[in-house]
Amino acid sequence: MTMAARLDPRAWHLTVKIPLLVAGLMVALGGLASQLVLARLDRSHEEQVSRLATAYLEGARSAVTPFVERRDVWETFDVLDRLEKRYGGLDILVTFVGLPEGAILAASDPMQLRAFAAVPAEWQGRFVEGGPLLIDAAAERAWARRGLDAGGGEIGQIFAEIDIGQLQAERRNVAWTLILGNAAVTLALATLGLAVVRRMLRPLDLLSREVARLRDGKAPHERAIPRLRQPEFRILFDRFAEMADAVSEREQLAARLAREERLAQLGRLASGMAHEVNNPLGGMLTAVDTLKRHGQDTAVRADGLALLERGLEGVRDVVRAALLTWREPETGRPLTSQAFEDIRFLIQHEVTRRRLVLAWRNALPALVAIDSGPVRQAALNLMLNACRAAPVGGRVEVEAWLANGVLQIRVVDSGPGLPPRVRERFSRLDEEPPAPSEGGLGVWATVRLARRQGGRFLLSEEGASPTVIVLLLPTGPRAVA
Amino acid sequence: MRRRALLGATASLALPAGPARAQEALRLGLTPVFSSSDVVLLRLLEGYLGRATGLPVETVKRRTYQEITLMLLTGQLDAAWICGFPYVQYRPQLALVAVPVYRGAPLYQSYLIANRRRGLVADLADLEGGIHAFSDPDSNSGWLVTAALLRERGHQPASFFAHTIFTYGHRNVVRAVGSGLADSGSVDGYVFDVLAAVEPALGAGLAVVRRSELLGFPPIACRDVDREQPRVQALARALLEMTDAPGGSPVLAALRLDGFTAGSDALFDGIADKAALVATDTGGRA
Repeated sequence: MTMAARLDPRAWHLTVKIPLLVAGLMVALGGLASQLVLARLDRSHEEQVSRLATAYLEGARSAVTPFVERRDVWETFDVLDRLEKRYGGLDILVTFVGLPEGAILAASDPMQLRAFAAVPAEWQGRFVEGGPLLIDAAAERAWARRGLDAGGGEIGQIFAEIDIGQLQAERRNVAWTLILGNAAVTLALATLGLAVVRRMLRPLDLLSREVARLRDGKAPHERAIPRLRQPEFRILFDRFAEMADAVSEREQLAARLAREERLAQLGRLASGMAHEVNNPLGGMLTAVDTLKRHGQDTAVRADGLALLERGLEGVRDVVRAALLTWREPETGRPLTSQAFEDIRFLIQHEVTRRRLVLAWRNALPALVAIDSGPVRQAALNLMLNACRAAPVGGRVEVEAWLANGVLQIRVVDSGPGLPPRVRERFSRLDEEPPAPSEGGLGVWATVRLARRQGGRFLLSEEGASPTVIVLLLPTGPRAVA
Repeated sequence: MRRRALLGATASLALPAGPARAQEALRLGLTPVFSSSDVVLLRLLEGYLGRATGLPVETVKRRTYQEITLMLLTGQLDAAWICGFPYVQYRPQLALVAVPVYRGAPLYQSYLIANRRRGLVADLADLEGGIHAFSDPDSNSGWLVTAALLRERGHQPASFFAHTIFTYGHRNVVRAVGSGLADSGSVDGYVFDVLAAVEPALGAGLAVVRRSELLGFPPIACRDVDREQPRVQALARALLEMTDAPGGSPVLAALRLDGFTAGSDALFDGIADKAALVATDTGGRA
């Protein structure tokens, strides 16, 4: 699997995706909760500033109004100065009273806002009509204004500039405490949730591993299947156990069928081999008889011995090939070029019987890194089927070579083409082929062998003649069990 | 002039002196010449005077000099610590009980002060066009001296300064100038010097532009008709003997005074001259 494929969440295991999803949801929820609380905190902070500013200005307004009414500069200043120094609720920077004509009556900081001078334009411009409080969080400043009334008319306005830096700092502290606390709790809960969900999904993980074993043809671990309390997982595991038993039975049936097919094949081979051994026996016995009568003749003796030698060599090859097929273990030995060559002798009887023309080309190297037994079995099946499919007097071609680490065995016959159901069997390599209900055991065994070796088939077009079947099998250390 | 006449007529309607009030508290009026915010000092003074006179003593404070003067003239007070300006204004109706001794003499000065942050000020002329803080319109050091000085130079406060304010307290004048509310101020030199010692921060950044000549220290006065009253006599003795009497020294130390002396009207002739100078310009104003 490429790195990109590994990073695709869709390829992640369920026991990873679900806990991560749960953790992600909790983090998102924690973030949303923090946002809501911070928004409320902001509103609460603004309300607090407004309340404190209102309390201050209302108190100042009550105190200064009598003095503003008679425009007493000193008393107005005295009240503002004392109030500002004693008010502990806010950090008041400056408070001043402005008269209706736009002049300052008195300010708590006369050096900044001189008495009798015009109210600075920036102060007038800060407040929109009806807006008593203006907060600039970035500058950590707030500005407040109240009207001063007496006898039903406005006699002036009182303004205040407030340093909300400390309040902002407190708000930031609260916000950070909230964020960090929330993050810590969310992280802890997410971690706990991750652990709990992973634990809850552990049976699924276990099930996944056991299914993989089943796919690879291994029996499930009996001890691995736990006794579970969760009813949903208990039912699932019971079903899995039933399925594993069924698969195991099927495997056993398939193995038995494969052995039976092999035995049947050997039986046919034995029959063919008997013919192949019997055929030269007549000639050899005739040659022995000739040698007895005319053995003293050099030419007769040479011809006779040569015939005997050829006949015995033929018998030797057939017997050796048969012995090799009978005795060879199913797995564990790499394929040799000679072992593949010997298959030719095993099909010789069929070739001779049907008077076929056999074109044989073995281009394999001396040693091929692939399990010899299954490959020879599959190749033998293909060749025997080709011999049976070709018409009498037809042609069969067999070619084997190794290209780019892939063993390729090409079998061609001049028959009418593959029947549809046979073509389907060769095409369905993504699943274990079901045992055929009637005949075709050789094709079934061949497809099963190829699937287990990781191979595939290339077929000629439907209805085309000659029929071409190419078996491709990957080689390498893993191809030799 | 109309105000003086009114006050004088009101004073004539006052109750006559007599022995009927002998058991009542001795009522002593205090003007803002006294630092009325010092409660401890007030208790010390009341305590000493009570023991020295044998009478219960009640100090009476009001916001303006005018109120205390009126109360004194109408017999609502037995005596009052007033400024020299009201004393010379109502000299026929008033008599001296005692005069404080400050730095060895019953004299003090009026200071013209300015805020250094408003710029370098060397003379009265540098204060023209600024905001000036007076203490009380009936204060010698807090108004009369500066008004007379301006008059001598051909000016009046209303036209010389851009704005003038009254703070009704010498300490308030110092606060006003120190905070920058006013560019300059007229203040009692004794009060200014005491504040410089006990509240140095209050006077930080202030410069004394001008010190007036020595003038009569604000006296303790009574109605002339009451000067022979036993309670007034007892008060006079208590004040004159404060230097050596038991419990008197702490009071004097707190007041930063040397003692009290009988004094004479001649001490206040300088103030009377200034009052006459200013009176010619203020029309009917007393």
